[in-house]
Amino acid sequence: MSVLWSAIFLMGGAYVIAVLESWFMTSRFRWLAPVAGLGELAKEPVIPRLSDRVFYESAPLILLTVPLLGFAVLPLTPGVIVTDLATGALFLNAALAYVLVALVMAGWGSHGAYAMVAGWRFLGQFVGYGMLVVMPIAAVAMRAQSLSTTEIVRSQEALWNAVFQPMGLLVFLPATMALGFMPPIDLPVAPGELAGGVSGEYTGPRLTIFRLGRLVLVVTLATAVTVFFLGGWLGPVLPAIAWTSIKVTGVVALMLAAGRYVPRLREEQVLMWSWKFGIPVALANIFWVGVILLAV
Amino acid sequence: MGQLIAITVFGLIALGFGATVFRTSSMVRSALALLGSMVAIGLMFLTLEAEFLGVLQIMMMAGEMTIMAIFMVMYMMDPGGLGQMDMSHQKRFSKAAGVVAFLAAAAMILLVDWGDTVDEVPAPDVQVHNLGLELMGRSLLIFEAAGTSILVAMIAATAVAIARRE
Repeated sequence: MSVLWSAIFLMGGAYVIAVLESWFMTSRFRWLAPVAGLGELAKEPVIPRLSDRVFYESAPLILLTVPLLGFAVLPLTPGVIVTDLATGALFLNAALAYVLVALVMAGWGSHGAYAMVAGWRFLGQFVGYGMLVVMPIAAVAMRAQSLSTTEIVRSQEALWNAVFQPMGLLVFLPATMALGFMPPIDLPVAPGELAGGVSGEYTGPRLTIFRLGRLVLVVTLATAVTVFFLGGWLGPVLPAIAWTSIKVTGVVALMLAAGRYVPRLREEQVLMWSWKFGIPVALANIFWVGVILLAV
Repeated sequence: MGQLIAITVFGLIALGFGATVFRTSSMVRSALALLGSMVAIGLMFLTLEAEFLGVLQIMMMAGEMTIMAIFMVMYMMDPGGLGQMDMSHQKRFSKAAGVVAFLAAAAMILLVDWGDTVDEVPAPDVQVHNLGLELMGRSLLIFEAAGTSILVAMIAATAVAIARRE
């Protein structure tokens, strides 16, 4: 039953994000924008000459599979979680790390200069902000005294982690946006700069899978922010699933609004912010949580 | 029985990817085949109910092997393997070294007394708890020393990489 509810939530989430994204990008609200996007399926697939076929074919599938695996350990309500692993928070990190592998495979396999540059660029950035995904989760797990995502939500019953450890959210949110290559940190695909980047050589059904994978990835990331920092399903009056949906939608809207109103960062700016600002803040956050847990 | 079949299958997958590492001329394929092999080993950990170790293995290797791929691309003359360049050398020595290393590893597996096996695997959350106590207790010094030396190496590498100002 949990699998069914999670699948419905994922599909609904992907649809809502596609509508919101088209709204934020084009300033026109269209209910059917995602359906129109499916027209790509009917287009002729063009395969680049001398592409690395193994990488080229498997990269979009990996990009779709990985967030699905990550989503499996995130609870939507107390009972609805595909698998409540004892190492859930770590498992989510492990799954997200393979977004990197998928994008590097897509970039290298496409046999195109822009795609390859974009793939390696994602790697360079990932080394910078990868720790900013892991370290706030470590601090969250410190408070919950557990790596189980359900326990992490329960630990926030008195106070959300967003209030308890705001520094963690401050670095975790941009880091997840970079991991989901959302504007203004969408350098690996950077339309207008790298001609589509890693997805530039993809057409037809493969491009559709690539885009679907990214939508699912964004749902997973927004749900992760909700579970780790915004108290997951916790909230008064309304049922648990409603609170999860509202919070996830709010997080996605915040991310997309940042993409709309903040200009795209340059490569070295992303790296500078990650290393010189993000890492010290994430370390300070771990220290802060440790002191509070020991002292209070 | 199911556990035995699963661990055999994952072991064979690990060996297959391991062989691919040397059979391909493309540096990125080679590095990612090694990643495939490491993931299969992680799955073997999971089959053996070592949940934390399995997930950790799968997580750590993604970044490490991809970073290795870019270094291999940077240093090799023909990273794509499209130029038909023969990259092997000292074949007789390599074969001998390979056989010797295999025999040594096999002898170690057979000769070492591994102690008694545990009848019941602790629950995953107990494993995490015990690992944490181990890291903060007996193994603390080793990990602190390793961490500090890696940090020093990183600072040194950065210092070397920065161009000297005239």
